[in-house]
Amino acid sequence: MPTIEVPKEKWSGKVREITLGATAADGGTRAKTVTVGGETTLPYLHFEGDIPHPPAIAIEVQDRKPADWSPVLLEAWGDVTEDPAAWAKAAEEAGADVVMLRFSLHDDLSAEYARETLRVVLDATGLPLIVFGPGQAELDNDLLVPVAEEGKGEKLVLGVCEDKNYRTIVAAALAHGHLVDARCPMDVNLSKQLNILISDMNLPLERVVMDPTTGALGYGMEYGYSVMERLRLAALQGDGMTQQPMLVTPGEEAWRAKEARTEEGVPEAWGDWAERAVNWETLTASALVESGADILVLRHPESVKRVRAMIDALMSN
Amino acid sequence: MYIIGENIHIISPSVKDAVAGRDIKFFQDLAVKQVEAGADVLDLNIGPQKKAGHEIMPWLVQGVQEVVDVPLSLDTTNLTAIEEGLKVAKSQCIINSTSAEEERLEKVPPLAKQYGAKIIALTMGKGGIPVGAEERVNIALEKLIPRAMELDIPMEDLLIDPLVLTVSGCQEYCPECVEAVRILKVAGDPPPMTNVGLSNVSNAVPREMRPLINRTYCVMLMAAGVDYAIVDPLDEDLKEFIRIVNERDEGTGVGKLLVALYDKTAAMDRLTADDVDLGDPEQAEIFKTVQILYNDIIYTDSYLRV
Repeated sequence: MPTIEVPKEKWSGKVREITLGATAADGGTRAKTVTVGGETTLPYLHFEGDIPHPPAIAIEVQDRKPADWSPVLLEAWGDVTEDPAAWAKAAEEAGADVVMLRFSLHDDLSAEYARETLRVVLDATGLPLIVFGPGQAELDNDLLVPVAEEGKGEKLVLGVCEDKNYRTIVAAALAHGHLVDARCPMDVNLSKQLNILISDMNLPLERVVMDPTTGALGYGMEYGYSVMERLRLAALQGDGMTQQPMLVTPGEEAWRAKEARTEEGVPEAWGDWAERAVNWETLTASALVESGADILVLRHPESVKRVRAMIDALMSN
Repeated sequence: MYIIGENIHIISPSVKDAVAGRDIKFFQDLAVKQVEAGADVLDLNIGPQKKAGHEIMPWLVQGVQEVVDVPLSLDTTNLTAIEEGLKVAKSQCIINSTSAEEERLEKVPPLAKQYGAKIIALTMGKGGIPVGAEERVNIALEKLIPRAMELDIPMEDLLIDPLVLTVSGCQEYCPECVEAVRILKVAGDPPPMTNVGLSNVSNAVPREMRPLINRTYCVMLMAAGVDYAIVDPLDEDLKEFIRIVNERDEGTGVGKLLVALYDKTAAMDRLTADDVDLGDPEQAEIFKTVQILYNDIIYTDSYLRV
C-alpha cells in the first residue's frame, strides 16, 4: 500500500479561550469553571491543530414552569420545573457543564424577583451560569442589570446582546465582571460588527461569546451552519473580530419545530413522538457541534446524554 | 477602459422628477457635466417606464445628443423604448441590457443587429447569478456568445457583464467577478468585450465609505482587463486612481501601491502587507479594502477601524 500524506493547513489564527464562572479563588462561588475555545483548526481535525477543550453543554432551566414547552420535555424533568433551584440541581445531575437560567415572560418579573431567582439558583448549583432575559429589549435590560449586580464576580454570561440592544447589558457586564452573549440573526457581517461594537465599549473580547443563531434541522439550519463555518474560517485565518467561541441554542430551536412540538396532525410514519422530538434536538445539536459550536444549550436530558457521547467520541481521537 | 457615465439614473430623485416634468435642460446639463468630466459614453436609465417609455427614450436621446457627441447607452427593460431610442440616435448606441434568460435573449439581441448597436449581456440566467467565476463565464460561453454569433453580432459589440455584487452581503462574489472578467478576456479569438457596473460593489455600504471601495475595486477590475465600466465620472478620487494606473504613476506611496495592486492582480497574484506602507493611513485603508474585496477579511461597516 502506498502511504498517503494527509495535507495539513497551517492556520494563523486561534479561537479565544473563554472561561465561564469563577471559583472562590477568583471572587466567585462556583465549585468549578468551564473553559471553551482555543481551537487552532477546524472542528475535530486533531491531526492538524489543537482542540484544547470539548464543547460545553448547558441545560436550560426557566424561572418558572414553562407554559409553552412540549409535554415531552415537562414529563422528562417532572416536578423540578416548578422550582428553578431544584431544576438547576437536576440539570447538574443530568450532566450539564453549565446551567442556563432563562426568565420567561410573565407579570411577576421585577428587579427583586430577578435577584431572588438568581440567588436561589446560584445556591443550588456549583456550575457556571448563563442568564438570559425573556428576549424583549427593555425587559431584558431591566432584569439583567440587577442580575449582574446580584451575581457580582460570578462571571455569568448575560444575554442576549443584539445590535439594537447591547449597551446596557455590556455596561452591566463591565461593571460587575461578567461575560456577554452577542447574538445576530444568521449574518456573518453583523456578527463581526457586533463584536466590534461591544469591544468599542472596552469589554475585553475574552468576555464575549458570539451567538450566530442557527435554525433547527429542517428549518434553515444549513444556512446557520454555513454562517458558523464562515465565521470559524475567518477566525482561523486571523480575523481578530471573529475569534469568539460560539454559543448555540439547539434546544430552543429544535423544540420550536413542528416535528418536536406536536403529536397531532402528523403522518404516522413519523413514529413515536418522544423519540422523534429527542432525535430532532440531538441531530440539530450534532450538526452544530460539527460546525464548531463551543457551548450548546439543550433542553432534554436524553439529548444531553447523546450529544455528550458524540462529543466524547470526537474528542477521543 | 471606457467610462460609461451613470448619473442619469432613475433611482436619483432629481432624475425621476426631471423625467416626469420632461425637463430636457436638466438632462443636457448633466450630460455635459459628465462628458466634460471624462465620460466616453452616457448611460440613460429611465426605469421600466411601461407606459411612456417609447416617448421618453427618443425625447431624451434627441435632447442629449444636441449637446454632447458621445455614444449613448439605452438602459431600460422596455424594448419598445429602446427601439424608439435607437431610431433617432446619431451614433452607435449600447443596449443595456439582455440577460441569458431565454425570452430576453430571443428578443433583445436582434435589435442590436438591426440597428448596429452594441449590447450589454449579463451572465445571469433563470437560476440567478452564480457565485463562481467559471459558472458565470459558462453562461457567456453557452448562451450569450453563441446567440451573438448566430446573429452575426461582432465580438467587439458584445459587452459581457459578469455582474458586480455588493461586498456587504455578497462578499464571496467580489473576487469571483474579477476572475470572471479575466477568464472572459481569454475566451475566444477575438474575445468578447466586458463591462461592469462598478458602484454595485458598495450597495448597502454607508455612503461615506462607498467611494473608497468603488475605486479600489476598479483598479482590480482594470487589472483583469475590463473594457467598459459604468461609473460616476464626477468622482474625482476614482478618476485619480484610474489615471495613476493608466500612467503607471509611482510618484507617491499610494501610486506605488496601486500599481502593485494592478500588476499583482494582472499576474493572478495577491497584494500582501509587504507591498504596503501601513504607516500611511491612506495606504492602510486601501489595503484593508483590498482584503475585504479578496473576501479574506469579513466585511463590516467598521472594517476600516479594525
